[in-house]
Amino acid sequence: MFRSRSWFGGPWGGRPKNRLSLEHLKYLYSILEKNTTVSESNRGLLVESLRCIAEILIWGDQHDSLVFDFFLEKNMLSYFLHIMRQKSGGSSFVCVQLLQTLNILFENIRNETSLYYLLSNNHVNSIMVHKFDFSDEDVMGYYILFLKTLSLKLNTHTIHFFYNEHTNDFPLYTEAIKFFNHPESMVRIAVRTISLNVYKVQNPSMLRFIRDKTAAPYFSNLVWFIGKHILELDTCVRTDIDHQSNQKLSNLVAEHLDHLHYLSDILLLEIKDLNAVLTEHLLHKLFVPLYIFSLTPAPPPPSLAVVTQNLAAVLNRNVDIDIQEMHNPRVSSIVALFLLSLVFLVVSHAPLVHALAWVILNGDHSVFKEGAAEILNSYVEHREVVVPGFGEPNESLEQALDTVTGQSSSSSYALSEDSGVESSSPATTELDSQADAVEAEQIKLRNITDEEKQLLQKSSSSTKADFAEMAKPFLDTVLHALDCTENDYLALLSLCLIYAMSHNRGIKNEWFEQFLAKSTRGAFSYKTALIEHLLNIITQSSQPSSRIRLITVEIALELLVTFTRPSSDDSRCITVAQQDLLFSARNQSMVVLRNFYRSEDIFLDLFEDEYNEMRKAQLNVEFLCMDSTILLPPTGTPLTGINFTRRLPCGEVEKARRAIRVYFLLRRTCQKFLNEKESLLPLTNVVNLVQVENVLDLNNSDLIACTVVAKDSSKQRRFLVIDALQLILVEPDAKLLGWGVAKFVGFLQDVEVQGDKDDSRCLHITVHRGGVTHNRTPLLSAKFLFDDHIRCMAAKQRLTKGRSKARQKKMYQIAQLIEIPGQMDSPVYAVGGTMVASSSGGSGNSSGSSSRSSHHRPMFSTANRVPGFAAVLRGSNSAGVSRTQMAPNRSIEGIRNESAGRSRRRSPSSTSGSNLTADHSDRERSPSVSMGSHSSSQSRENSQPRSTGNRSRESSPRMPRPRSEEIPLEDFQHSRNNSPHSRGNPSPASRSQTPIRVLHYDQLSGHSGSPREASLGGTNALLSQLNGLAREVPPTQSSEETSFIGSDGNEPTGGSEGRRRGAIETV
Amino acid sequence: MSYAYLFKYIIIGDTGVGKSCLLLQFTDKRFQPVHDLTIGVEFGARMITIDGKQIKLQIWDTAGQEAFRSITRSYYRGAAGALLVYDITRRETFNHLTTWLEDARQHSNSNMVIMLIGNKSDLDSRREVKKEEGEAFAREHGLVFMETSARTAANVEEAFINTAKEIYEKIQEGVFDINNEVRKKHFPWELLAITLLSRY
Repeated sequence: MFRSRSWFGGPWGGRPKNRLSLEHLKYLYSILEKNTTVSESNRGLLVESLRCIAEILIWGDQHDSLVFDFFLEKNMLSYFLHIMRQKSGGSSFVCVQLLQTLNILFENIRNETSLYYLLSNNHVNSIMVHKFDFSDEDVMGYYILFLKTLSLKLNTHTIHFFYNEHTNDFPLYTEAIKFFNHPESMVRIAVRTISLNVYKVQNPSMLRFIRDKTAAPYFSNLVWFIGKHILELDTCVRTDIDHQSNQKLSNLVAEHLDHLHYLSDILLLEIKDLNAVLTEHLLHKLFVPLYIFSLTPAPPPPSLAVVTQNLAAVLNRNVDIDIQEMHNPRVSSIVALFLLSLVFLVVSHAPLVHALAWVILNGDHSVFKEGAAEILNSYVEHREVVVPGFGEPNESLEQALDTVTGQSSSSSYALSEDSGVESSSPATTELDSQADAVEAEQIKLRNITDEEKQLLQKSSSSTKADFAEMAKPFLDTVLHALDCTENDYLALLSLCLIYAMSHNRGIKNEWFEQFLAKSTRGAFSYKTALIEHLLNIITQSSQPSSRIRLITVEIALELLVTFTRPSSDDSRCITVAQQDLLFSARNQSMVVLRNFYRSEDIFLDLFEDEYNEMRKAQLNVEFLCMDSTILLPPTGTPLTGINFTRRLPCGEVEKARRAIRVYFLLRRTCQKFLNEKESLLPLTNVVNLVQVENVLDLNNSDLIACTVVAKDSSKQRRFLVIDALQLILVEPDAKLLGWGVAKFVGFLQDVEVQGDKDDSRCLHITVHRGGVTHNRTPLLSAKFLFDDHIRCMAAKQRLTKGRSKARQKKMYQIAQLIEIPGQMDSPVYAVGGTMVASSSGGSGNSSGSSSRSSHHRPMFSTANRVPGFAAVLRGSNSAGVSRTQMAPNRSIEGIRNESAGRSRRRSPSSTSGSNLTADHSDRERSPSVSMGSHSSSQSRENSQPRSTGNRSRESSPRMPRPRSEEIPLEDFQHSRNNSPHSRGNPSPASRSQTPIRVLHYDQLSGHSGSPREASLGGTNALLSQLNGLAREVPPTQSSEETSFIGSDGNEPTGGSEGRRRGAIETV
Repeated sequence: MSYAYLFKYIIIGDTGVGKSCLLLQFTDKRFQPVHDLTIGVEFGARMITIDGKQIKLQIWDTAGQEAFRSITRSYYRGAAGALLVYDITRRETFNHLTTWLEDARQHSNSNMVIMLIGNKSDLDSRREVKKEEGEAFAREHGLVFMETSARTAANVEEAFINTAKEIYEKIQEGVFDINNEVRKKHFPWELLAITLLSRY
């Protein structure tokens, strides 16, 4: 640095004070003039001058146009060129600076005219074709970035500065693509960017040049480069059975994906001619001869063939074995399936994917023999037959094919000629030699495939039947791969391929469908065969100790849904027998899962966690196929770092997780076929939970005052409330007596309580986060100080009990879900197994509605123990009843019913009417019946008359309500929660089948509801519900409830009060 | 010049946030910041020393990548470090960070070191994004954060070198896999390339 300063201070003197000025540029020009020859002594000076020129020019571009004029007038670029061309004096030092200056110049220039002037003489092109010392990484970097910068300036106007139509010169492009296989990835990326930027310019003559002169050689080289890469990848897969060199494999896969995306980006530019050439090359030089060929059965091992031939030579006989065929490159079928999947996942260019799909589905060995043109011909013919009017005219494909093949050899020569490059330069040599290699490769392939074909014909002894058998060897391979008897190694990749083909945007759905619907041998269509294969996988996956990975199951199920379309009734294509297979697989998975059903805490945690995981993770096959580990044999050990769903379970816990997940997946799919909505999962319905800041009515709830001392010893005065599921810390509401605001909520099931040795009034309470794999820092971990020992013990007992009850309740839910025998009443049994009992939406109110009602522990169970409260209940009849009943509803029924649950919270918008209907639908378990519509439209008058009639019914002795009143809630709750052990509990807590109970429930939920009820103060809603007319009840009518509430003493209060009341009841 | 490691960086962020200026500022000190001159460049390299080891930083601006998916994904994968830059005087460049980060996380290896840079700290009067917001964003996403000014060169040096230090530490921890691909035959400079080892 200091040297550079000294130069300026030195012999030339007269350096202008202002670094950024025209004067300074003139001064620098004089330096260039005086130092035309680069030498050891003036190198530094030149470099510094060149650097300063960049600065001044950009400054001039932004501030003083005279600067640029001077630069152009003196033709200073020619000096650059002159300096560059001198071999002497450590040129790379100077060249780096030159290139940097040029980069800065072209990147920062804003004035268009200046840019045009800079480009107008041919200097820039001359600089581009100059052979720099590319072994210097900095020179390489600046050079390729220089080209990239220029390529970003390309448009229909500037293209003429770079592409010379008359001389067919386009150095920017031709020089850049020479580095397409440069070892430095950043250089390769720059080359790709440049080529894409070039293609993007809509200039017909330039594109013609690209197509005629460069496309064939460039693409064939590129394809060869990719092909070589694939062979490397294949070797890696073959040698890495033990998941040891994962890093290398994943790099290779990622690199290959880069290539594919690049090709896809070119194709997406929709340059017809170019795409035709590229499609041609990809299909016939890579996809068919390598990928598709690898789907054919492998020939005998080369060594054997060599031995035979040697023997023949020794014996001097002529043996018809072609050694070359043995060496024909092929990859393992795993890799072939994987690569084909990637093609369909990434590329959507219709002619290409369509042709490739056609080859896979319809092709036979003639594909190899007849080579390029033949395939396209058949593809085209086929296309006309099957998908009439499909886009691209076949002429252009044909023409392109002819042109390219005619020129392919000469044009690669032309490339080096045109750009005026001696083939001595390393890059060109490489390109040429590769082109040769490709040529050789092709000749080889052609020969081989001929042989292959002959062999094939010989072997198949050309009876027509045999030939028909062999007609679709590739499709057969794909379908055979679905066989999971041993493991699902191949099956997963085959599924990926089928998935990718069926979801590719470039392949028309109808075409694919039509193809699948075609019958093959006998009466079976391919679709049937495919569905059967899928069901096979699904059935096997539901067996205990199955060797099928979760991801395989998931894709298989997804495909089953895709191909059978359960959602659309008319075009659903699954037979009853097939559907039964699916259901029995689900039942089987349930049986497997039952074996893992344990009372241990971890089972519940696993169960809930798996459910969340499944809901979070959407199937994404594209992401899956970025994971190189699916190329390696399935493994069980988590030590490989492979995601759980992509390997086999390891150990008991993971086996349980797997069983749970398989069940969930099957359950979800079966529900799709039954047109059902999930109503039992998740176990906890978030909507029904108390949230922080909710305002709760705590009258008659058990409240335990305490002081919460946090870790940082901050103290807060709170009241502890224990709900059926939650622990709630409340703060008294400022406005309403007896009400509280929830300040903290946590699940009882995650509570850990410990006494304090030293202080009998003190508890250490930790509330963990749910789930098994999540963040382990607890939600709350604090010391709770109570007023006295008794209260402390009470709190401890309730928390401990609450925890086990909450867990028992959920375990019971699971037991119902997976139909553990003896765990539930028979009617419930039907409910628990999602679909067994399900009937289509038509099933009447009565039967449907009955199936679901069940009663659980009330929210604040403690409340019921309060003697005073109990008395109130009895005395004030309906009000009390409704409250006690409502709470149970909330715990289980509420879980099923979002709207109802919500309304119980504070949601003034929801109406009791909608609650009711929702409940109904829920119970009927026929989501197709849309009930919400009933709710609001009805007139109030309508229902009122009916309500009277209902009333009488309500009072009938059959009403369950009184019963529940009389049974100590705590007791029946208890029995219910313990139910895994107490079978067949006939108490109201169990899911009763009687319609009455249901109605009762309705009434409750309606009651629990909503705002407006209060203001209306009629009893009609309840009655109408009982009447079965509930649906017609307008929202307002639920006012009934208010009346109940009113009996609590609130009747006279206005709407707002009543509303709150309703809301609170929830809690 | 010989070096022990070559770290490749990319610079990402909206256009006009000063990426190429940062790059030039760091790689070529001869360009002294001048008030009324904005110069940037898309490529640069510089030697630094960490722990007594010569390390070459090679920085690639990713301009022009947005149009093509293939280019975006390749860039991320090739780099050991990324500078995610926004402009403190333009709120929208800060708002777009999430998108950039998602892109980076999706395409890059999980071990790529990402540094968040709030550039143009010299223009405090026109500031639209508070420093605290940048800090919060960085904390939330586990990034290192720094406010820089390509114009005054404030913190520019630190931003690049701290990133390099973090990469270096990861190498020492064995998180990065040093892939000694010796390609002396044609490309002697490719002695060391840093690839990333996925953490198990």
